[in-house]
Amino acid sequence: MDLETLDACVKIAACICGKDGILAEAELDEMFTIIKSNNNEYERKAFEESIDAFFDSNKQIEDYLALVRDPADKKFILHVAEASASIDGLDPLENIALQKAMAFWGEH
Amino acid sequence: MGNFIPLAPDPKSHIKTLTRIGYTLPSAVSDILDNSIAAGSSNIALLSLPGEGEQSFSIIDDGEGMCPKELLQNMRIGCKDPSDERGEEDLGRFGSGMKTASFSQARRLTVVSKSRNNRLSAASWDLDEIESRNEWCVQVLDDSEIAELPNLELGDHTPHGTQIIWEKLTFIPQTSHSESAEKEMARALAELETHIGLHFHRFMTGKNKCHISINNAPVAPIDPFLTGHPGYQEGRIAKNRCKGGHIVIQTHVLPHVKKISRNELAKLGGAEGISQNQGIYIYRNKRLIHAGGWLGLNTSNQLHALARVQVDVPSSLDHEWKTDVKKASLQLPSRVQRDLKKYLADPVKKSRKVYSYRGKQDTANEYWRINEREDTGIITYEISSENTSLQKILEETPQHTRSGLVQYLADLAAHLPLNHIYEKMSSSPREIDQTASPQDMSSLLKKIFAKL
Repeated sequence: MDLETLDACVKIAACICGKDGILAEAELDEMFTIIKSNNNEYERKAFEESIDAFFDSNKQIEDYLALVRDPADKKFILHVAEASASIDGLDPLENIALQKAMAFWGEH
Repeated sequence: MGNFIPLAPDPKSHIKTLTRIGYTLPSAVSDILDNSIAAGSSNIALLSLPGEGEQSFSIIDDGEGMCPKELLQNMRIGCKDPSDERGEEDLGRFGSGMKTASFSQARRLTVVSKSRNNRLSAASWDLDEIESRNEWCVQVLDDSEIAELPNLELGDHTPHGTQIIWEKLTFIPQTSHSESAEKEMARALAELETHIGLHFHRFMTGKNKCHISINNAPVAPIDPFLTGHPGYQEGRIAKNRCKGGHIVIQTHVLPHVKKISRNELAKLGGAEGISQNQGIYIYRNKRLIHAGGWLGLNTSNQLHALARVQVDVPSSLDHEWKTDVKKASLQLPSRVQRDLKKYLADPVKKSRKVYSYRGKQDTANEYWRINEREDTGIITYEISSENTSLQKILEETPQHTRSGLVQYLADLAAHLPLNHIYEKMSSSPREIDQTASPQDMSSLLKKIFAKL
C-alpha cells in the first residue's frame, strides 16, 4: 500500500473510531499495529502525522473514502477501522460510521 | 429584505449586565491569575493591606507584561475571538475575563503594565464614568496619575510585569449591618487562599512553579488527591487523543480519614469536605475548573467518599465542552461521559473496600455483636451475651435484679444513638474517642459505693 493510501486508511479509521472527536489510546495502538503488520516499512511518526492532520482538517469521511480505489485496499481499511473501533466496544455511533463507509464503497 | 441598522447596546445598561455575570471573589481572582500564568509569571502577589484610605485590591505578577499598545488592546472587552486557537499554556478564552471579573468585584479597574524595554503604562475603566458619560471610554493614565495609584508595586525599575488594581470594591458589603470592612476582607481572603491553593495547585509545585502569596503570606498548594500521602492508592490512567492534545483520565483513592493528619484534613474541608467533594475533578490546561461531584454519573455516598477521578482536558476542546466565560462550568461530551463511567467503578470499589476493611476491624469487639440477618437484610447492634465478664456479673447478681439488668442492657443497645454516630463519623471522625469517657462511670460507681 502506498503512503497516500496509508494516510487515507488512517484518516478513515480515525473518522470511524473518533466519531465524536476523541480517539482512545487503545484504538490508536490497535490501528497502528494492524497497519504495521501489513506494511512493515510504516513508521509511528508517519502515523502520528496522519492523526494530527486528521484533527486539523474539516474534511468528512466521504472525502477520504473517495481517495481509495483498489478493492483489496478498501477491504483492508474496513478491517482496520472495525478492529480498532471494537477494541473498547463498538459504539452505535462508530457502527453507523462503519456502515456508512461500507455503503459508500458498496461493500454490503 | 429589510435594512440592517446598527443597534449597539446602551453602555449605561450594558455595564450593569456585565457586573452581574455571577462571579464570586475566588472565581474572579482565578480568571486574572489565569492571565498571569499565561504571561509566564513566577511570582504572583495578591495585596489588600489595611490602610487609612479606601480599601483596594491588587494582583501583581512578574509575567512578560504589555507595551502601551498591547495594554490598550487588552482593555477592550472581548479583545479575543473565543473560537481562535489558544496556546497550550494559555488559560484564557473570551478575552473578557479580566474585565468582567473585575467589574463584578469593583467599580474601578486599573491595569498597570511594563514589558521588557518598554515604559510603564496604565489605563483604567471606571464604571461610574461610563454611566455618567454613557460611553465606553477608557482612561489612559499619565505618569503623575500612575504614581498616585494605591499600593503601586510596579515602577520603572521593574523589568516586566503587570499589576491589576481594583478600587471602589463591591465584594465587601457596605451596609450598616455588615461587619467592619477589615473583618470582611480577612474572611474573603481566607476563602480565596483555599480556592487558589486548590484550583492552581498544579502550577505551585514542580520545576517551573509559580509562587502565589496573599498579603505577603505564601499560599500553599492543596492536592485534592493526597498523592504523596501514605495510604493513597493510584488507579488506572487512560489517554484519549483529541484535537489539540489528549484527554487524560486518572483515578485516585484517598487514604481513610483516620490516617490523614489534622492539618491535611482541615485543608480538604475536614471529613465532611472529603465526603462532599468525592467525584470528578476536571482540569483545563492543568487548572482545576470543576472540583468534585459525580456530574450525574454516580451517586454520592459515604462509602464513595474517598473516590476521585481526575480528568485533564486541553483548552482546544472548549467548544465541545461548552466552557463559559468564567471557566467555572462545562458540559461533558457524550463520549467522555461513556469513558468516565467505565473508570468510575474502580475507585468507587476501592473506596468501599477501605471503609469495609475498617468496618471489619470494628466488629472484632468482645462487647458488641453485629447481627446481619440474611433473610431480611436488617442489621442490629447487640450487646454480646458471650462476654465472660458480663456472664460472671449476671451469675453473681441476685435473681430478682438479674432480669432488670438484662432488660437495661437490651434497652441500652436498642437506644444506641445511631444517627448521631453516623453524622459525627461522617463529619468529624477524628474527634470521636471512646477511651476518653470512663470518668463519668467511675464517679457513678463512687456514688453507689458511698451509699452502701
